[in-house]
Amino acid sequence: MSTAAIAHDSHGHEGASPAVAKFGMIMFLLSEAMLFAGLLGGYFILRWSENGFPWQENHAWPPDAGIPALPVFLTSVNTIFLLASSVTFHLAEGAVMKGKSGLGWLFVTICLGALFVGIQCYEWWHLHHEGLWFNTGGVYGSGFFVITGFHGLHVAIGVLLILWCFLRQLFTRCFTPSHHPALANVALYWHFVDVVWIVVLTLLYYV
Amino acid sequence: MTATTADSHATEQAAHHEHEVGFFHKYLWTFDHKMIGLQYLWTALAFLFIGGALALGVRWQLGYPGAAVPIIGQFLPETVAVDGSIIPGGYNMLVTMHATVMVFFVVMPLLIGAFGNYLIPLQIGAGDMAFPLLNELSYWLYVLSGVILMAAFFVPGGAPGTGWTAYAPLSSVAAYNGVKIGQSLWGIALFVNGLSSIAGATNYITTVVNMRAPGMSMFRMPLTVWSLFITAILLILAVPILSAAAAMLFADLNLGTSFFSPAGGGQPLLWQHLFWFFGHPEVYIMILPAMGLTSEILAVFSRKPIFGYKAMVYAMIAIGFLGFIVWGHHMFVSGMSLTLSAAFSVSTMVIAVPSAIKTFNWMGTIWRGSIEFTTAMCFALSFVSMFVIGGLSGIFMASTPIDLFVHHTYFIVAHFHYVLFGGSIFAIFGALYFWFPKMFGRMLDETLGKWHFFLTLIFFNLTFFPMHNLGLGGMMRRIADPTVYEHLRQLQPLNQLCTIGAIGLGFTTFVFIWNVIRSLRSGEKAPMNPWNANTLEWTVPSPPGHGNFPKTPVVYHGPYEYSVPGIDKDYLPQTEPAPASARLESH
Repeated sequence: MSTAAIAHDSHGHEGASPAVAKFGMIMFLLSEAMLFAGLLGGYFILRWSENGFPWQENHAWPPDAGIPALPVFLTSVNTIFLLASSVTFHLAEGAVMKGKSGLGWLFVTICLGALFVGIQCYEWWHLHHEGLWFNTGGVYGSGFFVITGFHGLHVAIGVLLILWCFLRQLFTRCFTPSHHPALANVALYWHFVDVVWIVVLTLLYYV
Repeated sequence: MTATTADSHATEQAAHHEHEVGFFHKYLWTFDHKMIGLQYLWTALAFLFIGGALALGVRWQLGYPGAAVPIIGQFLPETVAVDGSIIPGGYNMLVTMHATVMVFFVVMPLLIGAFGNYLIPLQIGAGDMAFPLLNELSYWLYVLSGVILMAAFFVPGGAPGTGWTAYAPLSSVAAYNGVKIGQSLWGIALFVNGLSSIAGATNYITTVVNMRAPGMSMFRMPLTVWSLFITAILLILAVPILSAAAAMLFADLNLGTSFFSPAGGGQPLLWQHLFWFFGHPEVYIMILPAMGLTSEILAVFSRKPIFGYKAMVYAMIAIGFLGFIVWGHHMFVSGMSLTLSAAFSVSTMVIAVPSAIKTFNWMGTIWRGSIEFTTAMCFALSFVSMFVIGGLSGIFMASTPIDLFVHHTYFIVAHFHYVLFGGSIFAIFGALYFWFPKMFGRMLDETLGKWHFFLTLIFFNLTFFPMHNLGLGGMMRRIADPTVYEHLRQLQPLNQLCTIGAIGLGFTTFVFIWNVIRSLRSGEKAPMNPWNANTLEWTVPSPPGHGNFPKTPVVYHGPYEYSVPGIDKDYLPQTEPAPASARLESH
């Protein structure tokens, strides 16, 4: 049997090559995009059919005066943290590509991601305190909590994934300049969650 | 590692393909796509039994309303039957669970989970799927979702009874449906099942795009692989929308949100839009792989190339694309502007074009072929016939003026059973008879197979054809007792005929089960290539060893080179270069 055959036979056991893994990740993110499209599309249709578009005259969102306003300023600041975390993750990947450990930048990314989740939790607690929850404020409350909930869950999972990369790198130094598929795929996921956040932020907070 | 040890290692592997692994790693937690395919196969066949039993409960109640269910009546939970007689709420539960089980736990797992997993790597010449761990996770998520759904029968209030479409606000307001926990479990089960589908689909797309053997260009892939590839794309794009809708439904039921409740600014119609945006591509998710499997069988047993191979591929792509812009045809009676319903009518009727291309190409394939009526071929031929009946009745409903009258009648029930059972299930049976030798190394018995086929065909039509008449006679769907309606009493004999057919269909299953058990134990040993077929899975032993191909195969031409002029045998495996004298169909 030739050596090519051995390489082929072992192919099934050693996991996919980095390029193939990346392709798979992109397919998965496509389905994630559809999940958020479903949630945001549903939310926007309900909102639009009741209140019209933001540029129309009778548009009022939140629909009633009694509904507490969202903390737009705090969330804008929080957005900066999340976007910064994407930059730091990119720097971590760059450091790994140059043969360094990248642990510093990964640590900063974890802190920024955790900070974002923390501030979102505070925001939920604050709004609950003010009287806005899943079951109050009609579609306003429903949409806000379910969509930010789904997004927050994705960020939290992302933080855990980065933590996993961090610990692996800390103890085994498994990411080399030429081979770091796990890191590259978590990075893709993380940037994706960031992009989704920009859409969520625009639709829920700004318009 | 030195070259010598590498070589000895290789010889050792070739000597016994099966790795020495324990029961747990061989059958329960395996990374081998073939075993994962078989895991899906057995689990889904078990669910087929459950779904069939639920259907018999439904049919019994409609044929003989109020009569105690024979034999098992006393064992039914009290939310379903009292003193052995099915109660109206219990009837709704049976209908809902039958449909949910058949769609998400039988047809999808059999077509995509079982045949997809088993055939994709083998037919493209790969050692395994791109992500074996993800593959196994996808199977166990499917099992988990099945357990969650079945648990609904045993929770307070019982199983959901709002139909598999779970229209809001009936499904989203606990006070209306009375099965808050059951309906929530339904939502969770579909969410988890969606995760399983997405994991599988990601894997399939990645595998087909990246792991084809040398020479296996996209247009040399068997139509089975093409159909599963297109299906996987539909899954990636459609299933997450159902997940989003199920999450909203769960939140409405349990967290007090108002997505589907007008009181809080929500809209019940949003559910229908989200559900059918998923639901219509879902229809093609359940028929495209069946078309792919059938194409394979028809070509092999006609000993002729597929007529219009590329047209078949483009037709499937067109069906997949059009599937996303026709969902409104399920909602003509839900309050829709005439302009919009006209648009949905037209886009729906356009689907008839690629479907007809496929049907005519199947007929072109068998035209003047030297047809062998094996059981697999019989099932494949009836797939085409039954699909045509189901497809044609579909065009009735695509037309808004007709749909306004037949919507929500038994005409619809007849239609989708002709495509789902007459189409998908017939194709699944055909494919089982065709690939069983490869999967288990034994042939299925042809005599029992013929009995299975003819009884299934007869009882299937006996069960479902009269439903066309029932529907046009005015019988509504989802009514527990047709005899309470004056205008339906005269139709009761037809209902009883359907029920007799269904019972016959139920018993016919035992012929199949007996055939499987007998053939597994003492069936004729299957050679490597029992049907003289061309695709790559027939170039390796039955069943194939670990890693599939001892040596990466090289592909020289397309998969349907049967009866090629210029060579002596009537088939030409994809791994065999054609002699210069041969005039090939493909390149």
